[in-house]
Amino acid sequence: MLFSRRLMLGLAMAGSLAGALTFPAMAEGPTEIDLFFPVPVDGKLARDMGTLIKEFNEGHPNIKATAVYTGSYDDTLIKTRAAIKAGKPPSAVIMSANFLLDMQIENELTNLDPLIAADGTTKEQFLGQFFPALQGNAVINRSVYGVPFHNSTPLLYINADKAKEAGLDPSKPPQTWAELTDWAKKLTKREGDKVTQWGIAIPCAYDYCGWMMETLTMSNGGRYYNEEFGGEVYYDTPSMLGALSWWNDLVYKHKVHAPGATPGPAVSTSFISGNAAMMMLSTGSLTYVRDNAKFAYKVAFIPRNVRNAVPIGGASLIVPAGLEADKQKAAWTLIKWMTSPEKSGWWSRATGYFAPNMAAYKTPDMVDFLNKNPDAKTAVEQLDVAKPWFATYKTVPVRKNLEDEVMLVLNGKKQPKEALAAAQKAADETLKPYNAETSLKLP
Amino acid sequence: MKLLDRLFKDAPLATRNEITPKLGFVLTVLLAIVWLIPFLWMGVATLRPASDGINLMAELMPSLKPTLDNVRDAWEIGDFPRYTLNTMIICTGILLVQFVTITLAGFAFARLDFAGKTLIFYLFLMQLMLVPVLLIVPNLSLVAQLGLYDTLTGVMMPFFASAFGTFLMRQAFEAIPTELEDAALIDGASLLQRIRHIYVPLSMPSFSAFAIISVTSHWNDFLWPLMVINSPDKRPLTVGLSVFTATAEGTQAWGTIAAGTLMVIAPLLITFLIFQKRFISSFVTSGIK
Repeated sequence: MLFSRRLMLGLAMAGSLAGALTFPAMAEGPTEIDLFFPVPVDGKLARDMGTLIKEFNEGHPNIKATAVYTGSYDDTLIKTRAAIKAGKPPSAVIMSANFLLDMQIENELTNLDPLIAADGTTKEQFLGQFFPALQGNAVINRSVYGVPFHNSTPLLYINADKAKEAGLDPSKPPQTWAELTDWAKKLTKREGDKVTQWGIAIPCAYDYCGWMMETLTMSNGGRYYNEEFGGEVYYDTPSMLGALSWWNDLVYKHKVHAPGATPGPAVSTSFISGNAAMMMLSTGSLTYVRDNAKFAYKVAFIPRNVRNAVPIGGASLIVPAGLEADKQKAAWTLIKWMTSPEKSGWWSRATGYFAPNMAAYKTPDMVDFLNKNPDAKTAVEQLDVAKPWFATYKTVPVRKNLEDEVMLVLNGKKQPKEALAAAQKAADETLKPYNAETSLKLP
Repeated sequence: MKLLDRLFKDAPLATRNEITPKLGFVLTVLLAIVWLIPFLWMGVATLRPASDGINLMAELMPSLKPTLDNVRDAWEIGDFPRYTLNTMIICTGILLVQFVTITLAGFAFARLDFAGKTLIFYLFLMQLMLVPVLLIVPNLSLVAQLGLYDTLTGVMMPFFASAFGTFLMRQAFEAIPTELEDAALIDGASLLQRIRHIYVPLSMPSFSAFAIISVTSHWNDFLWPLMVINSPDKRPLTVGLSVFTATAEGTQAWGTIAAGTLMVIAPLLITFLIFQKRFISSFVTSGIK
């Protein structure tokens, strides 16, 4: 043996000593951190994100942050998880707000409580900056795991010109499903069997479809999942059946909604081009509509069947588990900076998402902006009736269990009742391992 | 129709007086037109000014006031020369190593005798059944352990060996008469010399067919490079392009997307147009249709 055990030990000790000695020297250089961000908006905003991070780096010479583009919300989750498992966790991620619970269950998140305490603030003070409706997706088991960054609620967009043309008053938008159905009927134009203008468009593509189902179910008095426990979803329930049946009726009974599952961009394009007179879409599309609509438009609350309620959407900033202390601290500095009233307001004006930090609405820039664009107020007002976004164990597969079935219904291949029963069965199967470890594990 | 006459002149001479081949030819032309429409639309959309609004976006008629604004926007958002270079490095890097590995592996399976040959070959082929997504996490941990996270080598690594390529080369080598190899053996050629001077030159069509498949699939790969690459300057084209095509909440700038897509596919398209004849003949002779 060339190397004795003693020699190896000696080498190891010398190595760690050298490491300890060089450490202060290394700490003088900037701490390099990566921020993973999805692009929930078009390319212009990818540039805006670049601008934001550049500004941060200029103001914080001891931190060098790099913005890493990571695809859609779902891709971002895959990439973050793969990076954590590969031992290369990013320092911060703009993560779809409803993935936090699943990540916390898998021990992939840093509990932010100690970082908040180290700043000399309490959890309540820290969370108090944000709209109360957002806290459900940020707090798990009374600990803070995420900081709201850009958030949305679904909205009803109405082409006011077309409404007037059809003898409807756009200043009194439909408030109930009955009124909305009536509006949609009046706004649908036909030439023989061919529809030249649809009354309403509602998106259904992976990710969006689950969110829209939650929207409709909530305004039908129900809920999508158990907010207190990650192992239960309520797919096969009267409230969800009513919601899906109404959506199905819009397509196949009233024929005011185009058949098939339409992705979000196709919905906004069809609204802008006048092919659909109304649409249900995220606040995140507001800037796009404002910039492209060549007609008067109106933004309204999502109509109710039983009650006014909408889910939160959008993303929170998280810190993955397994980071070195200095990176964690630098990431925390970045997160606090990005969610400050000024930056949060700036991002809101650029995107159309609302600013989660309530103080953002008191900044002069924002007051000015809202005076010029009163349509941006609707989403904020709707926050009074907003509730958390569905979040379960394995959120993405559980969501897809429902979405696959809803798509079949919209494509005319299944009836709502059997679709929901199948979705419930599939979701129960997906949730089984978690329930076996939690609610069904008896002492 | 002058154009049709000219097209017919290109139809095979022997079939010029029959009806069925003519119908077939017309059908092919129709299919080609259907195939061309998205390209035309992409070209038209690229040149359409934003002031035309989204209403005209779906139209095939070009705008009266064409503009290069979209191209400029796409160019500014993405560092396209860098992305193109990265993609080219990835594709050629993978292909060069693959040529070596599939030649040697294909030869071993076609001509060498060893214990468990058939079993190992089937195990090799089973790799084709695996969905690549399944291997993302194990592959990524391996790449990270090797210190290749966020490097182009890390992107290339998992594809250095190709089950499909090995299979293809095995088939090609098996079709070569053993007499040729025996003759070389008598002349005193070593194993590598025999591969180099007999098997490789006689399997050129299979090599080019494989090269096309390999390059196009890695040119279009999105998820794996997205996983490995963090630094913006190491992005390949697909990841760079999706920065402004992927959306979650429903808005899209079609003009910019069209311009970006055109930039991404242009190199591949131009290469195809230049080497068109060669590509097609290599597919015909290697039996992939």
